[in-house]
Amino acid sequence: MIDSRQASEALADIREIAHRVRQSRIYNLASLLMIMWGALVFIANAASFGWPRHAGYIWIAINVVGLAGSFVVSAFTHSRTGVRTFDLRTLMAFLLFFAFGLATCMLAHFGPRELGVFWAIYFMLFYTIAGLWVGFAFVVIGVGISALTLIGYFLAGNWFEPWMAIVNGGGLVLGGLWMRRE
Amino acid sequence: MAGLDDIIHQPLRLRIMAALNALPPGTGLEFARLKKLTGATDGNLGAHIETLSKAGYVAVDKAFVGKKPQTTVTATAAGRGAFARHVAMLQEIIAAQPPE
Repeated sequence: MIDSRQASEALADIREIAHRVRQSRIYNLASLLMIMWGALVFIANAASFGWPRHAGYIWIAINVVGLAGSFVVSAFTHSRTGVRTFDLRTLMAFLLFFAFGLATCMLAHFGPRELGVFWAIYFMLFYTIAGLWVGFAFVVIGVGISALTLIGYFLAGNWFEPWMAIVNGGGLVLGGLWMRRE
Repeated sequence: MAGLDDIIHQPLRLRIMAALNALPPGTGLEFARLKKLTGATDGNLGAHIETLSKAGYVAVDKAFVGKKPQTTVTATAAGRGAFARHVAMLQEIIAAQPPE
């Protein structure tokens, strides 16, 4: 028979392992979405650099493709693990989050460069806040990409979009790969 | 009051069962991931999985993914039940004699 101190230690061990398993599953599923969005953000920034007049349409198209892709990834992970990552509630949360960002952009009359910075930092704020609950990797990715975005805003000059393609798109892909290793 | 489950009570086997029980029923963990989560060595983990498997607490599925062998370990219904009873027993011990 064991005493209550040993029982407490055993329960603490169980809680710790359960937490690590949950975090590992979140990282595994989120990383797929992150890699996909990273590739899309890379394409959108590169295309906006090549065809700046069509940047608005490019970003709308990329967001539609990204949402559809998120559903596909969700269906894929659901079939493998039984866990749904992107359901109707997630879509509603995304749309509300997006609507608030859109309203902010309209009220603030941002220029193209400020728009690029705003949306990147706005989404990274979401990552950072989510990371406070679900895992440190989200915080590192959110803060890291936000900082690099601001550096690009002040220092990248005419190469801002390519900078953002690498930093934001590439950053998300690398972040997703790092999460998969974790 | 039933006693603690001797098979589950061993520290590494407790960790293995805790990890598998944190997953939805029917979902397993790959050997490599389980090794990382529990901090065990290959040989040690394999031996304890064997013990749990013999008790009917886990199911071991070996398959090839491409050319690589992949071992997946899943908690059985009996294993989940035994783990739940073991956790309840630990809680009873604490309730009966709170830690100082």
